[in-house]
Amino acid sequence: MEQVPDPEIPIINLVELGVIRELNIVDNQLQIIITPTYTGCPAKQLFEDLIKEKLIEHNILNFTIESRIYPVWTTDWLSDETKAKLLKDGISPPTLGDKDIICPHCKSLDTKMISQFGSTPCQSLYSCNSCKEPFNYFKCL
Amino acid sequence: MSITIKNELAQFLIRLADSEIILGQRLAEMCSKGPFLEEDIALSNLALDLFGRGEELLKIIADLEDNAYTPDDYTFRRNEREYFSYKIVEQPNNDFAWVIARQYFHDVYVREIFRQLLNHSDQQIAGLSEKVLKEIDYSYLHARDWMVRLGIGTEESNSRLQKAVDSLWKYSEELFAFDQIDTNVLDDSDQIKTVWDNEIDQVFSEANLEKPEEFKRHILDFRQGFHSEYLGMILADMQYLPRAYPDAQW
Repeated sequence: MEQVPDPEIPIINLVELGVIRELNIVDNQLQIIITPTYTGCPAKQLFEDLIKEKLIEHNILNFTIESRIYPVWTTDWLSDETKAKLLKDGISPPTLGDKDIICPHCKSLDTKMISQFGSTPCQSLYSCNSCKEPFNYFKCL
Repeated sequence: MSITIKNELAQFLIRLADSEIILGQRLAEMCSKGPFLEEDIALSNLALDLFGRGEELLKIIADLEDNAYTPDDYTFRRNEREYFSYKIVEQPNNDFAWVIARQYFHDVYVREIFRQLLNHSDQQIAGLSEKVLKEIDYSYLHARDWMVRLGIGTEESNSRLQKAVDSLWKYSEELFAFDQIDTNVLDDSDQIKTVWDNEIDQVFSEANLEKPEEFKRHILDFRQGFHSEYLGMILADMQYLPRAYPDAQW
């Protein structure tokens, strides 16, 4: 499952994103439990398709995928390592209460929000007051 | 085909689901027509949220109805009188101020409804509500921010927002005419009106808006499937493809 990248942010995979919750073997069948990031995320269906594709590639054909809303997906499920990967890829990682948002280019904390809504439902648009570069911020949820 | 919903909880949920989908459709109409790029993206993002929320609600409804129909059936194969969205969300994108006022009224109203559903005994409903409340905060803050910015912006922006508020206000009364189906599910339906009143008073005063007079409704209730003239046109647009090509696949 770690080989399935997030379709929007391919630098992290679906396990790191916290979308893959459980892998169980039930009656000799692989059961995969996933939790979508946002209810309206257009990648929701794509998650399942990518997982299917990867399993079939590995010749695993006997499986079910179940989407579960509860427990609710949260950015708390992103590890520090994952957050560091996001920052390296130019996406400012989620911070508690959306405070102290770091510029992924010059690492300044002197940044301002341009729009709460960015290129994907999980991101906002920010710009840096120090280096003047715009960047995406992964919203805290 | 006529689709009826038998389960009482499903009858309650479809009111929420339909309103989210119809508002999503209205916002989707704004895609590429926003006043500037960031706002265009914001409105399209909000439309996605609303469609996602509607779909999750319809999945629960489908379960409650023993999967007689799919979420797509409910969305694309019901006519006006089988839809239970409230009238505010059907109102057109006459002006950016309309888009904002409509969104703001919707957000204030459904936020309190989902708060009360947090304690629901059905774990799917309680879980979805927790999810929705996290997402809706972004939408609410966006709408509230614009209400104040337009309200205290210029004479022009204030008068256009006031006009939008005055026009939409007459559809607000039905929101609180709760029936048995609502009160059976909600913890405290009176609280929804109290929260609404406090919130509206606060924001209208910040935004220099005048609260319109209470309006005596002369249109029948959305809970019985009665709508303003716009819903038919929205459905005609939204359902055109599945109606012309039933069961078409991508």
